[in-house]
Amino acid sequence: MAIYRIRELSFSFPEQGAPALAHIDLNIMTGEFLTLCGRSGSGKSTLLRQLKPVLTPHGRREGEILYAGEPLASVDARRQAAEIGFVQQSADNSVVTDKVWHELAFGLESLGIDQQTIRLRVAEMASFFGIQHWFHAAVSELSGGQRQLLQLASVMAMQPSVLILDEPTSQLDPIAALDFLGTLARINRELGTTIILTEHRLEEVLPITDRLVVMEHGRIVADGAPLKAAEELRRLQHPMFRAMPSAVRIHAGVGSKLVTPLTVRDGRGWLLAHLAEEQVAPAGSGQHEGASSQTRSETAAARDVNPDAGVVAKQALVPALRFRDVWFRYEKHGADVLKRLSFDVQPGQLYAILGGNGAGKSTTLSLAAGLLRPYRGQVRVEGRDPAKVRPKELFHGGLAVLPQQPQTLFVQKTVALELTDMLRDSKLDEQARQDRIQEVIAFAELEDLLDQHPYDLSGGEQQRAALAKVLLLEPKILLLDEPTKGLDAFFKEKLADLLRRLQAKGVTVVLVSHDIEFCASYADRCALCFDGAMIAEGAVREFFAGSSFYTTAANRIARDLWREAVSVEDVIRHCQEETTR
Amino acid sequence: MRDHFSSSHPLIQAIYFVAVLIFSMLFMHPVFQLLALTAAAAYVLLLKGRRAVRFLLLGMVPLLLLAAVLNPAFNHAGVTILFYLRSGNPVTLESLLYGVAAACTFVTVIIWFSCLHVVMTSDKWVYLLGRILPALSLLLTMSLRFVPRYVEQAKRISAAQRCIGRDVTQGNWLVRARNGMTILSILTTWALENAMETADSMKARGYGLPGRTSFSLFRWGTRDSRLLLTLLLLLGIVGLGAAAGENTIRFFPSILYPDITWRSMTVYTAYGLLCSLPLLLNGWEEWRWRSTVSAS
Repeated sequence: MAIYRIRELSFSFPEQGAPALAHIDLNIMTGEFLTLCGRSGSGKSTLLRQLKPVLTPHGRREGEILYAGEPLASVDARRQAAEIGFVQQSADNSVVTDKVWHELAFGLESLGIDQQTIRLRVAEMASFFGIQHWFHAAVSELSGGQRQLLQLASVMAMQPSVLILDEPTSQLDPIAALDFLGTLARINRELGTTIILTEHRLEEVLPITDRLVVMEHGRIVADGAPLKAAEELRRLQHPMFRAMPSAVRIHAGVGSKLVTPLTVRDGRGWLLAHLAEEQVAPAGSGQHEGASSQTRSETAAARDVNPDAGVVAKQALVPALRFRDVWFRYEKHGADVLKRLSFDVQPGQLYAILGGNGAGKSTTLSLAAGLLRPYRGQVRVEGRDPAKVRPKELFHGGLAVLPQQPQTLFVQKTVALELTDMLRDSKLDEQARQDRIQEVIAFAELEDLLDQHPYDLSGGEQQRAALAKVLLLEPKILLLDEPTKGLDAFFKEKLADLLRRLQAKGVTVVLVSHDIEFCASYADRCALCFDGAMIAEGAVREFFAGSSFYTTAANRIARDLWREAVSVEDVIRHCQEETTR
Repeated sequence: MRDHFSSSHPLIQAIYFVAVLIFSMLFMHPVFQLLALTAAAAYVLLLKGRRAVRFLLLGMVPLLLLAAVLNPAFNHAGVTILFYLRSGNPVTLESLLYGVAAACTFVTVIIWFSCLHVVMTSDKWVYLLGRILPALSLLLTMSLRFVPRYVEQAKRISAAQRCIGRDVTQGNWLVRARNGMTILSILTTWALENAMETADSMKARGYGLPGRTSFSLFRWGTRDSRLLLTLLLLLGIVGLGAAAGENTIRFFPSILYPDITWRSMTVYTAYGLLCSLPLLLNGWEEWRWRSTVSAS
């Protein structure tokens, strides 16, 4: 039975020419796990909001939506509230009350359910989600992942028959995201709840998905089981294919005739089968060969990332950023957050610090920016102690920080005013100011966004605007805190491109991130922060070849054969070399 | 140490604290004051442990002495003159004792409040308020959620602004004031923007439908009934005693208080029991626990 029947649905926002949704035809079956993907602005969220009348924005709508056989608009408000559950992107904004137990009961209170029933439902949900250990906690004490689970649980307490989720994991770290998606799969499997989800983490979500729908410019371009939809994208040579899981892309890149793998497990099996089919002995003397090709590709990597970086790095006497045996804790009697942390970043490098939550990554950035001071050890920015240099000197033509939330930088009504405001205290004359501003606008590709309110931009655009703002200070070192959080594959590529261009201008880039795939693809050096210290550090390939779990999906697929193959392209190249030999 | 009074029904706790606070403020009679002060001090020690020792010795005792000494320096009424100040004004026994009594009231009330702060957590207030005004109680619980969030965001904004050279710690006072305003303005925009999403989340979960109920974890048990009966009984005795004037004392011009009789002894006992109700409850629970453990 179809829970939603969408017929010829078109929607346009007031005073906007192009429709946000155009001629959508979609039947969603009861019990289905449907993933909706597409780049930012493709109409995914708009479509989701059409499915929950209280959240539908104003605008002109044509076509019809049937919910369980009746027109959606005529479904009773109480039934809509209970049966159609909606989970938003930011748990921080969606959690309303101050206590976990109260949040779980919030929806049930709205429905006017009696004490005894609420008590039962809340207890059921707390047990199902494993919340009983923090049932009495205050919401402010929870981690981001726990908050998102709480939002989900409080919607599930109303016993919805369909659950709609709008990018629920975009603000979570990878571990919390996996946990969340695992819970969704469980809800779908054990309770039979229909799930409609928009998501960027296709690598993790596709294995649990029944059906993938790809959108672009408000239209559906592919629809079907994940592998079939991926095949369709490939046939169309659609840019969204680049967002597909590594196994699918490697398979396509190699041009194998075998069944397409979706997960890392299937990918490993497929790779061996493929090589066998092509009559190539899988590297028997793997270790030896791997070692030699590792050094080869490493030098190659150093060359193609930045021709100057390698040379400069070896010559530099003063590192751009240096941590020497740094110890830090927030409270006198608290636990140490950083324990003998040491690393050097050479000028011109793109240096990525990876690590889980609470490993001390963000603290490291705050120390580098001089916001905090270590109680033991040295922090040096170009040889100077950032906490002692006057901020005006440090942050003008020296160090710049792009915060995790770009909104913390926005003050003005439009992007153009934001940029002008940044130079208000500058000593430059009018013409020079305009030149600087035009330069960063062109650099960050903000031409079309200048008249918009910063809050109306998408996540990736906000970040570019914030970056442009920070670049007006002409930094030599740029620190970024989780720059890929919530960005889709295209915005990530764009960001990588901007960072590369900055590097080419001689700017040192240091970023902390959870995003293994991003760091593997674009950084020069990576370091793993764990329990307040650097556990491993090295050039990208060397770094990822050394770890077995904390590495990219492509590497996990191919690491038994080619240890240093980190990206999808690496694996494809190796495959082709092996088969042509 | 674990306090067992805190796990009783919030209504019991509210009645108890309202009663002891009002009585402590009204009763100037030394016996009543001594009973209340001892009980309050003992309860705060039980609730807060070592932190309370510092609070009492370094905070309350000096306050008590200071208030007791200050009164006779300014108030010269009373018939028993102890000595004359250099200004020629007399220092009287009555005004000295009145000072002690007033200081005692003040300190006792502060200690009661510090107990109340530990026992009556925010969710209990929200619950009690929700019984009377459901809408206000939701507002209260939402603000309890938002205040820590805003503080955290203000810190983030301040750090981000500092990193572009716009902080309240940099520049002259004019620049600082301007940068402070900037931070406030960013926070406001951020709060309004996010409030839209919060509103969506509330609407999506049916907020605004008629007939909203209010859920709470608190349940009334037989122990609460017994406690309520005890409380009412003691309150009744103390109330009658107060009506009969057992709690009154006259300081000026000369000190006058009712004779100690069987009746007054009864009222003293009732007041002592009332004030130390949480202590007695804890003692009782402690004894019960030991006897169950040793029995098994």
